[in-house]
Amino acid sequence: MSPQTIANTVRREAPLLSHNDSLRDAADRIMAADVPALAVVDDHGKLLGIFGEREFIGALFPGYLTTLGYAGFVPRSLDEVLEKRADCLDDRVSKYMNTEHIDVDDDVSDTQLAEIFLHHRVLIVPVVERGRVTGIVTREDFFRALARHLFDLS
Amino acid sequence: MLLAVLIFAGALAVIATERVDRTKVALVGAMLVVLSQTIDQEHAIEAVDWETIGLLAGMMLIVRVTEPTGIYTFLAIRAGQLARGKPFAVVLSLALSTALLSAFLDNLTTVLLMVPITFLLADALDIDPIPLVLIEIIASNIGGTATLIGDPPNILIAGATDLTFADFVVNLAPIAMVAFVVVTGLLYLFFRKRLQIAPDARERVLELDARRSIEDMPELKRTLPVLVITIFAFFIHGAIGVEPATVALTGATIMLLLTRQTVEEALRGIEWPTLFFFVGLFVMVGALEENGAIKEVADAIASVTQGDRTAELMGIMWVSAIGSGIIDNIPFTATMIPVVDQLQGAAGSDDAYWWALSLGACFGGNFTLIAAAANVAAAGMAERAGRPVGFMTFLKIGVPATLVSMVLATGYVALRYL
Repeated sequence: MSPQTIANTVRREAPLLSHNDSLRDAADRIMAADVPALAVVDDHGKLLGIFGEREFIGALFPGYLTTLGYAGFVPRSLDEVLEKRADCLDDRVSKYMNTEHIDVDDDVSDTQLAEIFLHHRVLIVPVVERGRVTGIVTREDFFRALARHLFDLS
Repeated sequence: MLLAVLIFAGALAVIATERVDRTKVALVGAMLVVLSQTIDQEHAIEAVDWETIGLLAGMMLIVRVTEPTGIYTFLAIRAGQLARGKPFAVVLSLALSTALLSAFLDNLTTVLLMVPITFLLADALDIDPIPLVLIEIIASNIGGTATLIGDPPNILIAGATDLTFADFVVNLAPIAMVAFVVVTGLLYLFFRKRLQIAPDARERVLELDARRSIEDMPELKRTLPVLVITIFAFFIHGAIGVEPATVALTGATIMLLLTRQTVEEALRGIEWPTLFFFVGLFVMVGALEENGAIKEVADAIASVTQGDRTAELMGIMWVSAIGSGIIDNIPFTATMIPVVDQLQGAAGSDDAYWWALSLGACFGGNFTLIAAAANVAAAGMAERAGRPVGFMTFLKIGVPATLVSMVLATGYVALRYL
C-alpha cells in the first residue's frame, strides 16, 4: 500500500453545516454524524470554515478563558455561572466557526494530511473538489488508518 | 523637506485609521524616506534610538520569563479577593493593582494580564465586567505615567535625554497618584449602579484558589529575585551610572540563564512588531529632523509663544494630550521629542518641558480607544469575551478622564514648575 492510499481510504462523506445553522442544530448533526467537526458552507455551497467540538466549547465558555492560560484556581461554584450562557445555543455557527483556510483536494497525500494535523488546531479537514465540499478526513480516522498500516507492515 | 513631511503625515493618517497594521505603515514610511534619499541609510540607522529598543526588548523578555510562573495572575486574584466583594474596594484594588503593575511593566502587558482575570472576577461577582475593564485601561495609562519604564512615551523621552528613573518618579509619580485617586473615584461614582454585588457572589470570589495560580514555583523562586533586583536597579541606575536599557537587558540576560525556558521560547515574548514599529518611526522622524522640518515646527511654536515659558509648557502638554488621542501616543511623542528638545534647549536645558510632554502624551493615552496600544488590546480581549467596547463607549469615559487628569496636571505644572 502506498502512502497515497491511506489518505484516500480515510476520506468519508459527511453532512454540511450552513453558516445560518444554530449551534443547537450544529451540535446535533455533529453528534449524529459521529465526527468531531463538520464543514460550514455559504448559500452557494462554498466552504467558509469548520465548526466542531472545539468551537462549541469555545462558544459555551467565556472568551477570556483562552487568554487565562491556566484555570486550575477556578472553583466549581463558577460552573453554575456558565448556565447563563446557555442562550448561545441559538447563535449562528458563523459567529464561532474556525475560518482558518484549511482544505485539501481529492489527491491529497498522507504527508500533507500529517502536516495539517500537526500544525493546525483542526480535528477534520474538508475535501474540496471544483469548489464544492465532497467529504472530510478526520484526525481520528487518519490516526487509525496510519496505525493499522504500520502494524500490518511490522 | 516637503517629501519627508508628506510621507510622515501620510503614515500618521493611515495609522490613525487603524485599517492597516501600524508596523507595516511605519516600515513602508521608513522605506520610502530612505529610497527617496530624503535620509540616507547611514543617517537612518543613526536615527534609530537603540536605547529605547533595548529597554523595550529587555522588559519584554523579563515579562515573558516571569509571566508563565503565574505570579501576575496570583496578584490579580489576591487584589480581587482583598476587596471582599465590596464594590468600591473591588474597583480600587483592581485599579491600584493595574496602576502599580503598569508603572513597572508596560501598559500593554499589564492590561493583557489584568483583563482576563477581571472578566473572571466579574463572572464570579455576577457584575458587568466592562466598567472594571474601562477603569483598568484608564488606571494603566495613569499608572504608567509615574515611571521611566511605565509607558512608551516615557521610554522614548528617557532614550532621548539623560533623565533618570528617579527623575521620572520624583517629577511624575506625585501627579500620577493624585490623578489616579481623583479619576478612579469619579469613575466609581459614575459606574456604581452597575457594580452592585450580591452577597452569595462575594463567596464565589473567595473560593478562587490564588495559590493554585502559581503554576511553576521553582521557576518563580529562580526568577522573582531577578525581577525585584531589576526594578530596584532602575531606581538607582543614575547613581551607579548604568543606562536603563542596560538595566533591563542585564535583568533579561540573567533571567535567560536561570529560566527553564529555552532561548527560543523566551525570545517569542519579544513583540517584534512593536520594535519594528519603533524602528520605522525613528527613521521617519530622523528624516523630518534631517530636512529641517522639526526645526521649522519648533521655530513656529517659539514665534507663537514668543519664548514665553508658561505658554510653551501648557501648549506642549495640551497639544500632546489631544495629538496622542487622535494619532497614538507613541508616534506623537517620537515626533515631539526633537521639537521639545529644541524648545527646552533654547530655554536653557529646562527639564519641565519633558515632564509637560510626558504628562500630555501619557494622560492623552486615555483620550480615545486608539490613543494607546493598551486600550486597543483591552478592547480586543473584551470583544473576544463577547463584550465589545466600541469607540464611542470608550470616548464617553476617556474624554472626561483625560480632561480631569489634564486639569490636575496643569495645576501641578503651574505650581511646581512656573
